[in-house]
Amino acid sequence: MTHHHPADDLLLGLAAGTLTSGVAVLTASHVETCAHCRDRLLVLETAGGTLLENLTPESLSSDALARTMAAIDAPQRPLAAKKTEGRLPQAPEGMQWPRALSDCVATPWRWIGPGMRWSRVTLPSDPAAKLFLLRIAAGRKLAMHTHAGMELTQVLYGRFHDGRDHFAAGDFDETDDSVHHQPEALASGECICLAYVGGKVVFKGMLARTLGAIMGM
Amino acid sequence: MPTSEELNGLARAVAVQSDRQAFAVLFKHFAPRIKSYLILGGTGDALAEEITQETMVNVWRKAHTFDPERASVSTWIFTIARNLRVDYFRRQDARLVYGAEEEAEAQADTLPALDEQVLAQERESRVRMAMARLPDEQALVLRLSFFEERPHARIAAELGIPLGTVKSRVRLAVNQLRRLLSGIES
Repeated sequence: MTHHHPADDLLLGLAAGTLTSGVAVLTASHVETCAHCRDRLLVLETAGGTLLENLTPESLSSDALARTMAAIDAPQRPLAAKKTEGRLPQAPEGMQWPRALSDCVATPWRWIGPGMRWSRVTLPSDPAAKLFLLRIAAGRKLAMHTHAGMELTQVLYGRFHDGRDHFAAGDFDETDDSVHHQPEALASGECICLAYVGGKVVFKGMLARTLGAIMGM
Repeated sequence: MPTSEELNGLARAVAVQSDRQAFAVLFKHFAPRIKSYLILGGTGDALAEEITQETMVNVWRKAHTFDPERASVSTWIFTIARNLRVDYFRRQDARLVYGAEEEAEAQADTLPALDEQVLAQERESRVRMAMARLPDEQALVLRLSFFEERPHARIAAELGIPLGTVKSRVRLAVNQLRRLLSGIES
């Protein structure tokens, strides 16, 4: 049961196609596994369809239909099958990567501290987007940190709490510079999250700052 | 203007019989509106024409994935045009947004009967009614969200509010839409 969902402005941006790549991937990865948000998204897409219906028609070139028909009759390029296998790090048994990551390439898991690994995810459409995976071992916590901008998290596996609330697989979280938090995986098992940060991550303390530098965020 | 049922019938004829005449009617209705949508979003005339045609090619090719139980034809075509627009502007990987496509591929042979399409049409007419009842400012916020290239900046300018408060205005508008929806008897 999912308890934490993206806010309406994110879903509306997804419906309208106006989100930046990283934000869209996070929001889409939540919607994939959340029937409630699929319904919310569908209402907003229906609003988009209704607005489209009501637009004043633009005139098209006179041969537009003929050219479209010609394109339909042209032989189609076969679609390459998409595989995430090998392009994303190893996942625990039973966990599936979101389809939203199917175009992405990510590094293998890299050690960033006791019980903590991360993987930098690169989006072909926006390689600079700060998108990454975090893998926190059972009972371990991240360094206390805040963000210069927006931070979005989608829990893919396990659960964590951060002093504010509990987040389990399927949950979505949005924080900003008003939140200082220290996510901690529950003792019962490891936790894997997909995260996006809009600005720099600001860690507290020198060791934590070093970690921040390693992660380049 | 064709009714929602008629549009569904046309999409079905394209899916089941590769009916070119039905496709031409869909084209005549939707292509000029798709182009209008693209131009509003800041796309130049030539590119808008190209993406419009590509959208309609996709309508033909993906007709078998159209699920009238899930969405109306206009909503379905809107998502195709939106995804292509996004692909062109590389804002996000949009192939995921419609989502149900893979599942739809898998069950392409089981198009629901016409009497099962009530759900999506019901939703569409309720959304249409709710949108008609939105207060002007919120209707504007919604329209700008869909049609502006940089919706947040434009909303801030139109409403004369700081950029930082746009998010809450957007949330308010969607919230109001949802409230109106739940108030409309189905």
